[in-house]
Amino acid sequence: MSDIHKIPLEERRRLRTKYYKKHHLANILTHWFNVGMWLLLLPTGIAIISSPRLNLTPLWWQELFRNIFGGPANLIQFHSILGLIWGFVLIFNVLLGFRKYFVPFAASRLMLDKDDINWLKIKPLQMLGLMKDKPLPPQDAYNAGQKLYMYVVILGTVGIMVSGVIMTFHEIFPSILKQWAQPLHWVSVFGIVAGLIIHVYMGAVFPEEKEAFFSMFSGKVSAWYARAHHEKWYWEKVKEELEWEDQIQQETSKQAEPGLPQSAATD
Amino acid sequence: MLTSRISRRDFLKIGGAAAGAFAAAQFIPPKVARASGHLLEDADGDGYIPTLCEMCVWRCGVLAKVEQGRVVKLEGNPEHPHSRGRLCARGQSGLMNTYDPDRVLTPLIRVGKRGEGRFRRATWDEALDIVAEEMLKIKNQYGPEAMIFSSTHNLSQVQFENLLNGYGSPNYGTQRSLCFNAMVTAFTLTYGVEEPARNYADVEFILLVGRNLLEAISTSETSELVDAIARGAKLVYLDPRFTKTAAKSAEWIPIRPGTDAAFLLAMIHVIVTNELADCDFVRQHVLGCDDIVEAMKEYTPAWAESITGVAATTIERIAREYAAAGKNALAHPGWRTSNFVNSFQTERAIATLNALSGNVLTPGGCLSAESPEASGIQLGKPPQPPYPRISALRLDGVPWKYPLVPLKLGVFQEIRDAILSGQPYQARGWFISRQNPVLSLPDRKRTLEALSKLDFIVVVDILMNDSSWFADVVLPEASYLERFDPLHVADSRIFIRQPVIEAQGEGRSALWIYKQLGERLGLGDYFQYQDEQDYLRQQLAPLGLSLETLRLKGYLEPPITREAKDIVFNTPSGKIEVYSPTLERAGFSPWPTWEEPPYPKADEFYLLTGKVGQHTQFATQNNALLHKYEDVPCLWIHPQAAEKRGIQNGDLVKVNSAVGQVLIQALVTEGIRPDCVYMTPGYGHLSKGLRIAYGHGASDSDLHVTYTDPISGGQALTQTFVTVEKA
Amino acid sequence: MVAKKRYGFVIDVSRCIDCRACLVACSVENDVPMNHTRIWVKDAGLKGSFPNLERMFIPYNCMHCENPPCIEVCVSGATYKDADSGLVLVDQEACIGCRFCVEACPYDARYTDERRGVVDKCDGCIKRLERGLQPACVATCVGGSRMFGDLNDPNSEVSIALKHASSIQRLDYEKDGHDTDPNIYYINGDVLHSGLTIRDPRYTLAEQSWKKVLVPAVLTGIGASFLVQAAYFTKQLLEGEKEFEE
Repeated sequence: MSDIHKIPLEERRRLRTKYYKKHHLANILTHWFNVGMWLLLLPTGIAIISSPRLNLTPLWWQELFRNIFGGPANLIQFHSILGLIWGFVLIFNVLLGFRKYFVPFAASRLMLDKDDINWLKIKPLQMLGLMKDKPLPPQDAYNAGQKLYMYVVILGTVGIMVSGVIMTFHEIFPSILKQWAQPLHWVSVFGIVAGLIIHVYMGAVFPEEKEAFFSMFSGKVSAWYARAHHEKWYWEKVKEELEWEDQIQQETSKQAEPGLPQSAATD
Repeated sequence: MLTSRISRRDFLKIGGAAAGAFAAAQFIPPKVARASGHLLEDADGDGYIPTLCEMCVWRCGVLAKVEQGRVVKLEGNPEHPHSRGRLCARGQSGLMNTYDPDRVLTPLIRVGKRGEGRFRRATWDEALDIVAEEMLKIKNQYGPEAMIFSSTHNLSQVQFENLLNGYGSPNYGTQRSLCFNAMVTAFTLTYGVEEPARNYADVEFILLVGRNLLEAISTSETSELVDAIARGAKLVYLDPRFTKTAAKSAEWIPIRPGTDAAFLLAMIHVIVTNELADCDFVRQHVLGCDDIVEAMKEYTPAWAESITGVAATTIERIAREYAAAGKNALAHPGWRTSNFVNSFQTERAIATLNALSGNVLTPGGCLSAESPEASGIQLGKPPQPPYPRISALRLDGVPWKYPLVPLKLGVFQEIRDAILSGQPYQARGWFISRQNPVLSLPDRKRTLEALSKLDFIVVVDILMNDSSWFADVVLPEASYLERFDPLHVADSRIFIRQPVIEAQGEGRSALWIYKQLGERLGLGDYFQYQDEQDYLRQQLAPLGLSLETLRLKGYLEPPITREAKDIVFNTPSGKIEVYSPTLERAGFSPWPTWEEPPYPKADEFYLLTGKVGQHTQFATQNNALLHKYEDVPCLWIHPQAAEKRGIQNGDLVKVNSAVGQVLIQALVTEGIRPDCVYMTPGYGHLSKGLRIAYGHGASDSDLHVTYTDPISGGQALTQTFVTVEKA
Repeated sequence: MVAKKRYGFVIDVSRCIDCRACLVACSVENDVPMNHTRIWVKDAGLKGSFPNLERMFIPYNCMHCENPPCIEVCVSGATYKDADSGLVLVDQEACIGCRFCVEACPYDARYTDERRGVVDKCDGCIKRLERGLQPACVATCVGGSRMFGDLNDPNSEVSIALKHASSIQRLDYEKDGHDTDPNIYYINGDVLHSGLTIRDPRYTLAEQSWKKVLVPAVLTGIGASFLVQAAYFTKQLLEGEKEFEE
């Protein structure tokens, strides 16, 4: 939005052909693993909930899955084994990539700054058709909405894991924990699901964000997309690029100077 | 993996519409037990092995369900007349008797002071050698009579008697004087039968005199009584306490303790003076027929009212109702009838009432003067030499002090007192098998004192019961689910007790223990069997029956020809001796008669005891399953009496008798006469080897004063009077 | 097709002598933990005053209700009414032992087996039924008070007993639209005035919060989220995609 319309055509062309890496392969794989697991866990989980008093799941859905799996016990067992695998892999990935991926991710991409707060003030109103002409503050690699949703996802994931473990290993937990684990599991899942509707729409259907969708495979977005949607991150990237260029230039000029050959040898 | 986990019900869910078809196939009849392989295992490897219960003395038939060498469930054997497919709470809990974590599983030899509970493990050889050595020492030094033998009412009793008779001791403690001496003596004298059988098939009127049949449960008989009541039979129940039997009775008469005989004599008075009896029967079969009206003359209902507190009109009405029912009336002989020194007269009056109704040995009659065991089956037994002649007096005073007490019953409490007094001679040793005199005898303090006077005590038991606790050697018996016992005959059938699992630890059958000991005592000739099964084969030999078939089926029904006999009673006259010349000769009243019992002082209570349906005497309090479902042992006290003493429900109270004191929780209830208190017997164990029972409740034996009925030798348990105060 | 089975108990209270053989038999048969029981004999206590007394014993266990409040609250469907037998059963492989059902049962007929962390209760000894045996409590009932069978079969022992009963009562819980419609029939005695009380179903705070707070809140969230998405999508459809404009 901002001043994007002022960019000249040549520059636009250049930006369209230039790509920045937005997602590490590890994150991409984790994301799609998560998607796969959710596709299996969500329908089975929904099918388990059969309390007539809560009346949450249609009977045909319950019966369908029970018949597929051969009864609630097997359905639950499938769900909990898969859930354990899901939780284990996620935790394992986070721990394994803690320093390389997770800490930088959390530090640079999850923290809300002033612009984000402003974005959060303006964006919802714009969605309601107000303040159409007010410019949105520039956004980081993720916009404030995405950041907020990420919090929901992280909290929800922890909630799902903790409550899931309590219910799976029910022999060792007191009943009061098991009582609360169930609504916690459910509210965690459907908290995520609520955001997921927008997440999936934005990611997979919404035309302006098409690049974001493909980036979840390639890991890359065009500079044009970055400039348009994540301006702050774009300038960061540009800055990084310039710094890199400077560094290379320095190094090449250093190499040209005689008298320091050993440093090159030790590299 | 998932498919293998699909349970039966999941199948139905999958099946959906096919569920109906499955449903039809679900409830198929039981698999027919395969009579091959290891006894009665079916295709699933589940075995049902027939054996006999020993949680009380009723001996119900049991089918023990065994899985992988463990008993997992006991069922009543439908083929056994005592169980008919049912077991009571105790029978059902029987596997916890076997799997009691407090089982004694190796022979133990005392190392600490007696009663301190310190034992060391020993091998069978060592333990048996010690026992034999000590017993021989006593025999050589003081004579065989210095050794007391006691054991009660179990199937191995025959071999126990061999041991004591072969050893040569006259001192046999059966514990029966603490139980049914009054009943057995009275019925033996009157009918020539120890305990006549009861028949409830056509009963219309039942008189229970303190026989709490719905709590002192004999499975089949209890069932029959409930059936009879449901059918409309009238139950009149005399008991100072509102028991569960009282709850099901048509009429509960909270009679003054010790005065039942007066009530019954007045009934007899009404029946004979109004000629309401079955005159044909009486004329033909009853000795005393002509003089009974005169003999009962003074026992009018008005007289009885003044003694019993029951209205004369009530007594008269009940007498008439009883007589009107004719041979369908039953006055129950009772069981634990050791209540007052006059209990023998109560039993004589009951015997008389039955004779008058003509219910004995008549078709459809409700009392059969034939003992249930007398079925005409003659089992064999191993050959043995005659017993040595015994000339020493019996310590229990039979017959020199108690001329009419049957030798096989004895007067147990007298033995204990003879140990203390040293009269007529000093006893030195006590061989106790499956018995617990420390808790069963009245006046526990004296019993413990007596034990401390002895040189040697050996106990055979499966648990560290209170008497084992004070023993020098404890010999671990195999539990009733782990051993063979001699055969049991009931209702023309031969039943077997056989091991359904391997004995745990070093537990051994009594048959084995007695034989080993007998051989070491030089009495091997009295134990001429190789092992338990050989013993049983010798029992079956004269009938030509196979032990294998018996083991598979659990019972055998040998063909017996029983000639139709004329009714002849096994008494000197061949008649029912309502008038007993035997009693007369011994210097007692030949007629059922009134003997005034002692009465408590104004601030005293009668101390009642009586069984609960969940325990057998002192033997089952450590059974976790029975403990689970028992009531907290309490002292029942009437609200008026409690209020006077400031006692609230649940308060701890002190109960004092002439010989002891106990602390116990009070249960304030309308269900007891204001002049009585009731205590559940069997609690208050001293042995720390019983982790559940130790310190739980209080022992009535601490309070009971020793009083002996001179005729029957019965201990008068209810003749103990106590005071109660808030602790 | 065979008529649907409706297994239930008929208890002749006039015959119960409180001997507790059923209690022990049940404990052994079903390996019930020592601190729990699946069946009870309720002592209604002494009525009246000395010497005019009455006392009644009321055996009970899971009533295998037609409309069981326990099933209403079971989240996983572990508690179910068996289509085959009509018994209310717990599939312990599907149960996590949260006690929603324990609290909901007006008869307090359920408990948690702490050893396995699951809820347990009377299952009519279904394993015995499959072998053609009566439930353990019924088989051993010394007084012949307990009967069990198919209430839909007019020739079953239970139906015949009902036909000949002098009185028939049930401990039905009927209140606030609930009607448990229990399948234990008490005959030949007045159990309704015995002092035995049936409590209201209890719903745990977790279950209540879930039903009354979380469900509406989350559904609102999902609805709002869906509306946003729908609005954008509608806009997208109406306006068409200006792909290259980006």
